[in-house]
Amino acid sequence: MIQQYVLAVAASSAVTALLAFAAHKLHSAKLTARLHAKAQARIDTLEAAQAGHGAAIAERERAEQELQALTTQLRDELALQTANAEELRAALKAATEDKDQLAHQAQKIAGEAERLKSLGATFERWHEQMISLMTQNNDMHAKNQELSSIVRHVVIVSLNASIEAARAGPAGRGFAVVASEVRALAARSEELSKSYRDSLHRNDLTTTSTFQDIQAGGKMIAASLASVESLANQFHSKLHEVAV
Amino acid sequence: MISVHAKDSFDRIFRKAAQARLPLDAGDLCEIAPIADASVGVSKDTQVVVLTISSIVFRLLLILHFDEDESTRAYYLKDAADERPFQEVFLEICNLCCGAMNQELLRYFPDLGMSTPYVLNARCLPHLHELKPGLLSSYSVTLNGTVRLAATVCVCAYAPIDFVADTSALEETGGELELF
Repeated sequence: MIQQYVLAVAASSAVTALLAFAAHKLHSAKLTARLHAKAQARIDTLEAAQAGHGAAIAERERAEQELQALTTQLRDELALQTANAEELRAALKAATEDKDQLAHQAQKIAGEAERLKSLGATFERWHEQMISLMTQNNDMHAKNQELSSIVRHVVIVSLNASIEAARAGPAGRGFAVVASEVRALAARSEELSKSYRDSLHRNDLTTTSTFQDIQAGGKMIAASLASVESLANQFHSKLHEVAV
Repeated sequence: MISVHAKDSFDRIFRKAAQARLPLDAGDLCEIAPIADASVGVSKDTQVVVLTISSIVFRLLLILHFDEDESTRAYYLKDAADERPFQEVFLEICNLCCGAMNQELLRYFPDLGMSTPYVLNARCLPHLHELKPGLLSSYSVTLNGTVRLAATVCVCAYAPIDFVADTSALEETGGELELF
């Protein structure tokens, strides 16, 4: 009985052990499969990540190449810009020198215009000569007027002589001829005096208009020179402003 | 050589200057009428004030005729405080009149100069044609119906002249102090 019982226990233990072993195996197999699946998934993820990395590396390499190309281009441009800057610096230096020269010339022109404005005094001097000429003309007018008055008087005297000669009858015939001759001479003198007066008036007008033209022309030139001086000064100031 | 427009412009410029400067007061009546020949009917005492405006292309003679009679003297010497002789006062008026023309002409001719006035006998006027003028216009000028003056504008051109003056702008008062 005991033996049977022991056997039964042993058998049941063996069955239990077998069951436990089987269960353990099953569990192990499941765990292994799960771990395997997990590992596979990890491997897939890592492979995907590695593929991504590869693409990124390729992209980075491409970007690096582009960057290098850009760097080369920028280096070239920098070299070009440096050359240009050198040229500009040289041009600026030349322009500065030109500006100084221009400023100097503008100042010179302004000074010259200022100096030439005194030409006006020369024109005024010429105009003063007109006063002197006109004084002489007026003097000639007065003398001509006096001559005209004498001639008028001679005409009256010759008329009186003619009347007296007529009164004297045949004895005064010779005297009448002389009186008539004197009257004719007086008439010619009167004509001459009138003509002389006209000439003097024409002279007055010509002298006045000519000398006034000289005087006004002088003022015109002085005004133009003042304008040149002002423009030269403005130009000089502007160049000065640029320098500052 | 002087275009019709330019002749008309000189005429308007003269009229504007005469209207503005020959009367002593702005309210005085100033009648300006064209006349054929200002030298006709001048007495032996009639005098003229001659002024010249010169430019590169022309010279303009403004000739203002006057008789130093009672009405003219009374008009221009009405300011009792002014003790200057008549001719001095009148020459200044003529100078202002010519100056106004000069000012107006400067808008069209940048280079101009003006002479000082000089008095001549009016009998020199018939000789104006000897200056070979391209424009010779005479006007009678009557102030307040009593003062009779005359004027002649003589322009000698040395190049073709053509311009249209705009004389519509109001004349500015010059040479007077304005107090505010």
